[in-house]
Amino acid sequence: MQGEVRLEELTKKFGDVVAVDGIDVQMPPGEFFTMLGPSGCGKTTTLRMIAGFERPTAGRILLDETDVAQVPAHRRNVNTVFQSYALFPHLDVAGNVAFGLKYRRLTKQEQRLQVKEVLELVQLAGFERRKASQLSGGQQQRVALARALVLAPRVLLLDEPLGALDARLRRDLQVELKALQRDIGVTFVFVTHDQEEALTMSDRVAVMRDGRVEQAGSPREVYEEPRTMFVADFLGVSNLLEVDAVGEEHSRCVLRLGDRTFLAEQGETDARGKLKAMIRPERIGVEPHGAPGDNRLPGMVERAVFLGGSYEIHVRVLGGEMLKVAMTNEGNPLTFGLEQGTPVTLYLPPDALRVLRPDPEPDAGDEEGQTAPAAVA
Amino acid sequence: MSWLRNPWGRPRVLGLMTVLYILWSVTPVAIAILFAFNNGRSRTTWQGFSFKWFTGSVGSVFHDPALQGALKHTLLLAAICVALATPLGVSLALGLQRWRGRGGGTVNTLMLFPLVTPEIVMGVALLLLFLRVFPGIGLGTEAQVIGQVTFTLSYVVVMVRARLVSIGREYEEAAADLGAPPRDQLFRVLLPLLAPAIIASAAITFALSIDDFVVTQYLSSDASTTTVSMLLYSSARGAPTPALNAIATVALLITLATLALAFLVYRRFAGGRDATAVAALEV
Repeated sequence: MQGEVRLEELTKKFGDVVAVDGIDVQMPPGEFFTMLGPSGCGKTTTLRMIAGFERPTAGRILLDETDVAQVPAHRRNVNTVFQSYALFPHLDVAGNVAFGLKYRRLTKQEQRLQVKEVLELVQLAGFERRKASQLSGGQQQRVALARALVLAPRVLLLDEPLGALDARLRRDLQVELKALQRDIGVTFVFVTHDQEEALTMSDRVAVMRDGRVEQAGSPREVYEEPRTMFVADFLGVSNLLEVDAVGEEHSRCVLRLGDRTFLAEQGETDARGKLKAMIRPERIGVEPHGAPGDNRLPGMVERAVFLGGSYEIHVRVLGGEMLKVAMTNEGNPLTFGLEQGTPVTLYLPPDALRVLRPDPEPDAGDEEGQTAPAAVA
Repeated sequence: MSWLRNPWGRPRVLGLMTVLYILWSVTPVAIAILFAFNNGRSRTTWQGFSFKWFTGSVGSVFHDPALQGALKHTLLLAAICVALATPLGVSLALGLQRWRGRGGGTVNTLMLFPLVTPEIVMGVALLLLFLRVFPGIGLGTEAQVIGQVTFTLSYVVVMVRARLVSIGREYEEAAADLGAPPRDQLFRVLLPLLAPAIIASAAITFALSIDDFVVTQYLSSDASTTTVSMLLYSSARGAPTPALNAIATVALLITLATLALAFLVYRRFAGGRDATAVAALEV
């Protein structure tokens, strides 16, 4: 099976600015790989280097074991779906889709057939004669997809392809795109800054920051087992507590916060000293004030936000930190009672409490530790 | 004067100013055109309607050799000027767009120079150039063509570059991504997208060439290189007849027709979105 991409020490500098700082990533054939990160993290530059629009300053881009780093874009068997789609406005849908087929040795008949097939694949049969300007955003996105897929690329690059669409259409297309990818088995390299999108669609996610891969792994891994505060924070709401790690008990880390003791099973349980512990909002339990036992923290409700399917409750806890708690809306009268000023006790289960390695200072961190996780396929 | 203060009222004062300005600028032209149809030799006293200064057997646009020669030479210059300035300007615009390194900004500013240089300065400079530096070319049609191309080129470059900037690099990248080599990126994508700007700048070049007096006059040699504008200038003081109005009318019609054609073609290509860009440039 073709479509393996391997980036080795890939670096791109624009003048003095390092956009991509020597990343190592391996994407096996047929994988849905997502590069996730805030703007300026180097994800788009990396994608543009794989596409051939930017020339790497250093490093290799191996496409099925062949280094294509110096091959111009038009000779690479990868195709791109652009953020703004970049459909040619002077051509109709069929013209756009057939654009790249001209460089294959095909008869007119074969071309027409392939255009027809791929338009059926993206559910746009019968749209051949429309101009791009006569299509809705979602339809334009499908044409952009069809135009790239008709060339049967080994790798499809997608640069925030859903960014310009409204929330609902976006969610539909996420599911559709993922299903399509599974059907055709092409390697997808997807760039986004939307964590939900990354988690929904990907087989593997690389969280990027400052031109480096901070952590790469399955959506579950990066969400449940973030290695750094940045990753924890970027993938959804995360509650951070400043704690003292004082010892170990049955391979659990013993944490202290004021006079309270917590046991944590996740993360760097062998770390000691002042550090941060993290917990996701949906893993915190809300109990009546004064509930006894370890891993419990008293606090006071500051705000209860009704979100329809759930409540988000902001609780100011011992030590002054604000924790966000997500509670499913089960019609439970207890939740209605959680008004501002209600004292509560929060339960932070040991299997949900994660000890984080402190973020390395910029440029002071050990590079091996930064890039090594990404190399693990 | 309550209507003056009424914020929901129509802007009457502004409307009046606009109407007055239009009248002021159109009336002289209208009068000049009107007297092209005068049935007499006067350019100030109306003596009845006639086509004699267009088609009559004596001294009319279609029969007087001097008038005819001037008209032909004007159109010839305009055609050559368009044929040279348009492709040259498009190539220059493309080249400047790609020029990312040092000096690009300076060249950009220099490209605007011919637009702001007083035409008389350019005329004198070109005259000296052809007399002293390139005496081999000398004065006449070739010099006139080179002179007109020199200053119309800037218009083409500016217009095409504006369009290039708004198009951006993405379409070319998309074409490359789909397998198009650089040549095809240019011919299959970029040039079709630039077509409206190219057509518009060709039309503007044509109009500028027909209108030009200073440069064309300086670089002319003998009667065979006289253009309509030169003819109008020189004979206005001699023995003017309505034939001058007639030839001016013809020149005006050709210019207007060219711009109207460009406007229509542009609107077709650009899908009506920014057709007003040409309309604005006609002024």
